[in-house]
Amino acid sequence: MKKNPAEQRNIFLTLYSILLLAYPRQFRREYGPQMTLLLLDCQRKTCNGPALIRLWLRTLVDLVSTVPVEHLQNMREENGFMNKLRTDLMAIGGCLLLIIGAVLLLSYGRSHQVSAILVFGFALDAIAFTGIVGNLIVFLLAKFTSIRPLRVALWTFLIVSVLALLASTVIIGRLDSNVVIGYAASFVFWYGLHWLWSQIRLHQGSSAA
Amino acid sequence: MREVEERTSGNVKLGPGTLYGSVKRMIADGLIEELDERPAPDLDDERRRYYRLTDLGFRVAGAEAQRLEQLVRSARAKKLLPRTKTG
Repeated sequence: MKKNPAEQRNIFLTLYSILLLAYPRQFRREYGPQMTLLLLDCQRKTCNGPALIRLWLRTLVDLVSTVPVEHLQNMREENGFMNKLRTDLMAIGGCLLLIIGAVLLLSYGRSHQVSAILVFGFALDAIAFTGIVGNLIVFLLAKFTSIRPLRVALWTFLIVSVLALLASTVIIGRLDSNVVIGYAASFVFWYGLHWLWSQIRLHQGSSAA
Repeated sequence: MREVEERTSGNVKLGPGTLYGSVKRMIADGLIEELDERPAPDLDDERRRYYRLTDLGFRVAGAEAQRLEQLVRSARAKKLLPRTKTG
């Protein structure tokens, strides 16, 4: 069934509102409604079909070309790209050292059957799994929605930990206390890290103000 | 967007992202500012935001116009442009 022009315009506007999510959050909040309004005006004043299609194509090309520009600008404004890169490299280096230390400790514990280290191994497995899955979800939700990141982190790590615990119980056929301790530790670790990070950001924000 | 296209005889075609990206940078550079006062209610649309040139923006636009004028004068002296009718 062929849609009438008004319906086609509404579909394009809805699509454009979704595509606006590609812009940095601050830019989107500040100018997103104005950009949609501008496009709506242009659509109203464009009567014939080919001109409307040209307008849509131009708008899409404009979106694709300006999104990277705004993200780069945003990165520069946030806190100097190189400073951020240096901090990120230090963080990655620190994580690698922690992982190497943990692997060495774990292999010692497993070869000598040290029970405390074996529990630590379960916690490490849980931290690695919930860390990868949970942080990816938190990152995407915090980036593309306006929900508070700390709240996102709380519910995401809780749900991921509980689901992983249930899956592990189904796979091994019983509820292993070591696995429960591992996932509880992993939840405390990741949520604690996000809480700490939010406190640091809060402190930085109040210092800047 | 349409006004820019009309003023440049279709040579410059702005999209919403380019337009508001420029607005954002011009505000940051102090060239334009958002207006607090609104037009008469019958002309106003409350969803819209209005901007105007700041003093600095006015001076920068003037300096740019002068630079272009000088460039055109120089091009004319080199006979790169056809003579314009005066009077």
